[in-house]
Amino acid sequence: MLEISDLHVDVDGKEILSGINLTVKPGETHAIMGPNGSGKSTLSHVIAGREGYTVSQGEIVFNGKSLVDLEPEERAGEGVFLAFQYPIEIAGVNNVYMLKAALNGIRNYRGEKELTSVEFLKLVKSKVKAVGLDESLLNRQVNSGFSGGEKKRNEIFQLSVLEPMLAVLDETDSGLDIDALKAVSDGVNKLRDASRSFVVITHYQRLLDYIVPDYVHVLAKGKIIKTGDKELARTLESKGYDWLTDGQESAA
Amino acid sequence: MTNSLQALLQKLPEPNSDTGDWLERLRSDALKIISSRDYPSTKEESWKYTSLHDLRKNDYLIADERNTGALLKKPYSRDDFLEADKLHLVFINGFFQPNLSTDELLENGIKIRPTKTKKADEKCNLETILKADLSETFSALNILTLCDSLLIEVEKNRKIEKVIKLILIGESSEPLLKSLRIIVKMNENSHARVVEEYRSHDKDAGLTNVVTNLRLGQNSTLFHHRLQMESMNTTHIGKIDAQVDSGASLYSDSIVMGSKLSRVDIDVSLSGRAAYCRLNGLFTGINDQHIDHHTTIRHLVGETHSDELYRGILDDNSRGIFNGKVVVSADAQKISARQASNNLLLSKLAEIDTKPELEIYADDVKCAHGATVGQLDETALFYLRSRGLNYKDARALLIYAFAEKVIESIPLPALRQLLENKFLGHNQMSEFIQQG
Repeated sequence: MLEISDLHVDVDGKEILSGINLTVKPGETHAIMGPNGSGKSTLSHVIAGREGYTVSQGEIVFNGKSLVDLEPEERAGEGVFLAFQYPIEIAGVNNVYMLKAALNGIRNYRGEKELTSVEFLKLVKSKVKAVGLDESLLNRQVNSGFSGGEKKRNEIFQLSVLEPMLAVLDETDSGLDIDALKAVSDGVNKLRDASRSFVVITHYQRLLDYIVPDYVHVLAKGKIIKTGDKELARTLESKGYDWLTDGQESAA
Repeated sequence: MTNSLQALLQKLPEPNSDTGDWLERLRSDALKIISSRDYPSTKEESWKYTSLHDLRKNDYLIADERNTGALLKKPYSRDDFLEADKLHLVFINGFFQPNLSTDELLENGIKIRPTKTKKADEKCNLETILKADLSETFSALNILTLCDSLLIEVEKNRKIEKVIKLILIGESSEPLLKSLRIIVKMNENSHARVVEEYRSHDKDAGLTNVVTNLRLGQNSTLFHHRLQMESMNTTHIGKIDAQVDSGASLYSDSIVMGSKLSRVDIDVSLSGRAAYCRLNGLFTGINDQHIDHHTTIRHLVGETHSDELYRGILDDNSRGIFNGKVVVSADAQKISARQASNNLLLSKLAEIDTKPELEIYADDVKCAHGATVGQLDETALFYLRSRGLNYKDARALLIYAFAEKVIESIPLPALRQLLENKFLGHNQMSEFIQQG
């Protein structure tokens, strides 16, 4: 589904990612861990197509199609979703309105018929419970005045409505207390199936107790330096990242 | 050499001051005042940023009843203007169109005063009202070239349930000067809502010069929404002069989207204890539009309060000006005045000049003001696009979000919806908000 090969990315002329290789198959969940400044968020943003991230080398291929030259909305249309580490507050825009515009944007891209408001509201009502989102949040302004937990739940709610094939979760656990973490993880787990894939970017192993990954990759200095299963996350939790990065340096 | 204002005045018939008619007398006074003047120049402080160069170049024809409807694309019918729960009054090229307007005028205290009427109107004391701002060039010109004037007088304790909507249309193939006078007199404890909507034919290149006088008696409430959507070739000069007596509240919006050059002056005097005004404004500029608002709020006595919020959105090489003056008289203690001017620049060439001006002569006051100038939030744009909105829709949504603060405060759903439509096209947000 997602094939990243030899990906080099510059931000402001500085190389942040230096040759990433990552293959995600349908239904798989991959965790990407790593110390601060290792390039985790850059990877998520470059997959979603944020401006200012220049691919100097390599490829991001999604379902056989190169994403590199696509606009963010075209990538959404292809089935890519990024849950933001810091969801954006947009005062003055109704949450449901925004989501309907998003879904219909995607449907337009795919040549599907737009949903009417009635059809859309029906869909939304069925999804809102699944994520444990308070229904009153629907008619509030996008993330405006939401608590940290509400914002993250709103991201997962959007994910559940837009039904992407690949969801990248960028430090979705940051700023969450244990109850919110569980609720968000439950929402994600309900969306996991044989065809949908997840890339879960996190600093801490804690999230991976709830969203159990098939693979764990360690990103450091713009490269994946180790890949393992969920046990690798536990090792990292007890030993930190130093034993990996030190090893890399002495080997180099 | 004769300047362009004098050239225009030469087209007027000589006022006849001997008739005993007070309006003729007023005309003759007005003429004396401006007979040695020219249009305001950028050397004057309050016109510093607004050049009337284009206005000077135009050889305007003064509207009279003969050239009304010179460029009607199709005949209008009353049904074109009908809206539920509204009393609508249609003016074309400065003149009232009774056949297109609501019939329920007099019973709602609405009088149209054709300029040529000789009868003195003692009850409302129009003369005093019209005299008040005669010293200003455009107000004097307004009196001299007046088409129809409209008087809305709401009697004591009366609440007019229906919204009074004035539709003022410019439709002339000639560059036409249309001068209108709107007077709203709210008697004690009355309540009304008035919309002034300016529209014009795409090809209209006229000059609109409107003065609105609002007189709010004790404990009255007036909502006044001014919506300027004239074509991009027009020049629009508007003035609102308001006096708010004790316990009365004025809620005023000035929304400007139209005209090549638009200047609106708003001057509110809070003259009785617990008088209140809320002045909101929203303007959008594209191409080389020039949109100027000058507001003045005068706290003449203590315990008066004002809130002001202006939001400007400027694209291309358009330019906006907001000058917000607050004057607090000596002894006007325990007043509060809040002012905010927020502006969004959508292009590198767009420009805003925003200036608060506080003149405070009392010491126990609460005054706050703030001005911001910003650009579209790139992160928010990326956020929306990553959700599937295309660039155009995401941008429109963020621009709407900026304007929403002013729009949401408008208590008329139809007007809110119209504005929402302007920003978002046909995908209406309100259908969801109403569901909640």
